Amino acid sequence: MSKLSTKHLLGIKYLQKEDINLIFETADHFKQVINRPIKKVPSLRDITIANLFFENSTRTKLSFELAEKRLSADVINFASSSSSVTKGETLIDTVNNILSMKVDMVVMRHPNPGAAYFLSQHVDAKIINAGDGAHEHPTQALLDGYSMREKYKDLTGKNIIIVGDITHSRVALSNIFCLQKMGANVKVCGPLTLIPKYINSLGVEVISNLKEALEWCDIAMMLRIQLERQDTKFFPSIREYTQQYGLNKELLDSLSKKITIMHPGPINRGVEITSDVADSNQSIILNQVENGVAIRMAVLYLLAGRVD
Amino acid sequence: MDILIKSAVIVDNNSNLNGQKMDILIEKGIIVKIAKSIKNSGNYKELSYPDLHVSIGWFDFRANFCDPGNEHKEDFTSGLKAAALGGFTGVVAMPDTYPTIDSKSGIEYVINKTANAIVNVYPAGCLSEKAEGKEIAEMYDMHNAGAVVFTDNKKSIENPSLLTRAMLYTKSFNGLIMEFPNEKNIFNNGQINEGIVSTRLGMKGIPSLAEELQVARAIYLAEYCDAAIHLTNISAKKSVELIKQAKAKGLKVTADVNSYHLLLNETALETFDSNYKVLPPLRTKDDQKELIKGLKEGTIDIICSDHTPENIENKKCEFDHAAFGIINLQTSFAVAHTAIKNKLPLAHFIEKITVSPRQLLHLSIPEIKEKTAANLTLFSPNSETKLATSDIVSKSKNSPFIGKKLNGKVYGVINKNKVLVG
Repeated sequence: MSKLSTKHLLGIKYLQKEDINLIFETADHFKQVINRPIKKVPSLRDITIANLFFENSTRTKLSFELAEKRLSADVINFASSSSSVTKGETLIDTVNNILSMKVDMVVMRHPNPGAAYFLSQHVDAKIINAGDGAHEHPTQALLDGYSMREKYKDLTGKNIIIVGDITHSRVALSNIFCLQKMGANVKVCGPLTLIPKYINSLGVEVISNLKEALEWCDIAMMLRIQLERQDTKFFPSIREYTQQYGLNKELLDSLSKKITIMHPGPINRGVEITSDVADSNQSIILNQVENGVAIRMAVLYLLAGRVD
Repeated sequence: MDILIKSAVIVDNNSNLNGQKMDILIEKGIIVKIAKSIKNSGNYKELSYPDLHVSIGWFDFRANFCDPGNEHKEDFTSGLKAAALGGFTGVVAMPDTYPTIDSKSGIEYVINKTANAIVNVYPAGCLSEKAEGKEIAEMYDMHNAGAVVFTDNKKSIENPSLLTRAMLYTKSFNGLIMEFPNEKNIFNNGQINEGIVSTRLGMKGIPSLAEELQVARAIYLAEYCDAAIHLTNISAKKSVELIKQAKAKGLKVTADVNSYHLLLNETALETFDSNYKVLPPLRTKDDQKELIKGLKEGTIDIICSDHTPENIENKKCEFDHAAFGIINLQTSFAVAHTAIKNKLPLAHFIEKITVSPRQLLHLSIPEIKEKTAANLTLFSPNSETKLATSDIVSKSKNSPFIGKKLNGKVYGVINKNKVLVG
C-alpha cells in the first residue's frame, strides 16, 4: 500500500489500519530527515497549504507549520478566536475565499464537531482536521500511537488508560479509535461526570479509581481538563479533582510495575500531573512533541500525493 | 367544479364502502353519487390514476408556516400548497411566529389570511403570553376566535405551576393544552440523541431523559388537575411506556409522533448532515420500534409532519450552529408509510392522520357519503415517490428526503369546492 484510502484526514475513524501503518512508515522516514543537518526536503514544492485556526492553538499550529515548511510547501495562516466566529458565516465565507485562492490543502482547527467534515463537502481541497470540537484530533492520536509504537514496537494486547476529561476531549476519542485499530486495549478513568454515558459502545470500559486504573495499564495518557468546553461545573474544584485524578510521584512509585506516562499537552502542572512525573524518565511527553512534526509531515506528504 | 373520480379504492374504517373500488361523482363540491361505475355523461373533469385510493382529507396536527414574521422561510401561500400536495386538507398552524399568536387578533390573522385556501387552517394559540413561559395568555378569547389548541410549540413549559394553571383554566371551555416534553436543563443545548452516535462524533447529546422527565411530569399534573393534556413529538421508548400506563389508568393523556421519527434513527447523523438535525432528535432503532408499536396499540394517537422550514443559511453551516427541523408536509405520508406499511394496516394508519386528530380537537369529521361535502385525499399506497428539489413548493428546501425513494404517492386533494392535483 502506497496511498491512503481517504482523500482527507478528517478523523481516525475514517482510516483503515493499513493507512495508519503507512503513515507510521512514512513518518519513520521523515523522522530521519528532521534529524539531519539539512532538515528540508522539496516534496511539497508548489503545493499551497492554508492553516485555518478558529480556536487557539500553540503546539499543533507550530508543529503543522514546521512540517509544512520542512516539506517546502507554501504556507498561509489564518487565525481567529472562536468568540469572533458567529453563526457559521465566517466558516462558509472562509471556504469561498480559499476556493478563489487556489489552495491545495487546508489544515483546520475549529470549535465545532464535524466542521472539518463540513469543509470537505464544500471545498475542492484536501482537508486535514487539526481538531474539531470534542470530535477528533487525528494527527495527535497518530503521533501518540507512533510514540507508543516507538517504545513498544507492537501495541497488540497493550493496556492503555486515558485519564481525565473524556467527554470534552477530541484527543481521547481519536486515541480510542487509533489505539484500538493498533490492537491495544483502551480504558478510561475520570469523574463519571466527565465520561460519556455510552462510552461502552466504543468497546471502552471505565475504571473510576485512578490507582486501580494505573495498576491495570502499561501506558497512562493524562489529559488536561477542558475548562473552555465545559458549560457547567463537572467537579467542585481543581483541588478535589487533583486529589482523585492527579498523578504524582508517590502514586507512580507505589505501582507494582513501571508504566509509561504520556500527555498531549498543554500540561497543567500540579493538576492532572505533577512536574516530577512529567519530567521523569517514565514520561515520553517530549518524544510526543518531536514525533508530532514527523507524523504531520507524513500525513501532508501522503495526502498531497493524491493532489490531482 | 364537477369531478368524476374513477376506480378509487375507498380507505375509510367508518364507511361500509371501506376497501371497495368505486367511482365518485362530485358536483359543486358535494359528493352526489358513489357507485361501481358512473358514466361521464356531463362535462365532468375525470380523475383517474394508477392504484388510486381515496380517503377523507388528511389532517396535520402540527406544522409551522412561519407566517407572520419569517415569510422568507415559508408563508401560508407556499406552505398550504405544500400541505395540499402532501394530501392534507386540514392543518394546525403553530403559534410561535413573530409576533407570536397569543391573542384573538393573531388567531383572526391566521383565519382571515387562509380563508380562501383549499386547506382548512386551524390556528393554535400560545399557552403563555409571547410564548415566554411566564403568564397564561388570553386562551378563552383565542378559543372563541377559533384557536383549537394551546401550546408554546417547542418551548417546553418550564414552570409546572404555569402548566397546571393552563390546564385548569382551559377546562371550563374544553380547551386543549399541548406540551412539548423537553427538560431544558437536561437538554442543555444538546445537538443529537445522546447515544452511540453522539459518542462517536463527540457531539453534545440530548438524553431521552429530557423528554421522559417532562412526560412523567405532565402526566402527574394532568392527574392532579383531572384535565386533558396532549404530549407532542414523542420520540423515546420510555415515554411511550409512561403514556401507555397513564392511558391504562384512565387519564386524559394523548400523544403524537412525527412521521420522520418512525423512519429515521440516529445512525443517519454519522455524516454530520444538518438536514437530519431535528428536535426531538432522531433516537435509536429501539426507540423507533417502540414508537411504531405505540401507534399500533393506540398509545400514540396521531402522526404529524412537524413541518419546520429553515432557510439555507440556517442549515448549510457547522452542525452546532444549524437550526433544528425539516420540511415535511409534502413527504409526511410517504415517510410514515415507508416506515409502517408492513406493520400497521393502511386504514388504521390513515385514521391517525384523519379521524384521530379531528376527534381530539372536537372538529367535525368528513365522510365519504352521498350528499356530503367532498373533503378527500387521492393517493396510492403502492406507488413510489422520489422527491426532487424542483418538486418542493415550500420556500425552504431543508428536507433529508430529496432523492430518496419512499413508498406511497399523493395525487391530490379535493376540499372546499376546490381541487389540487400534483
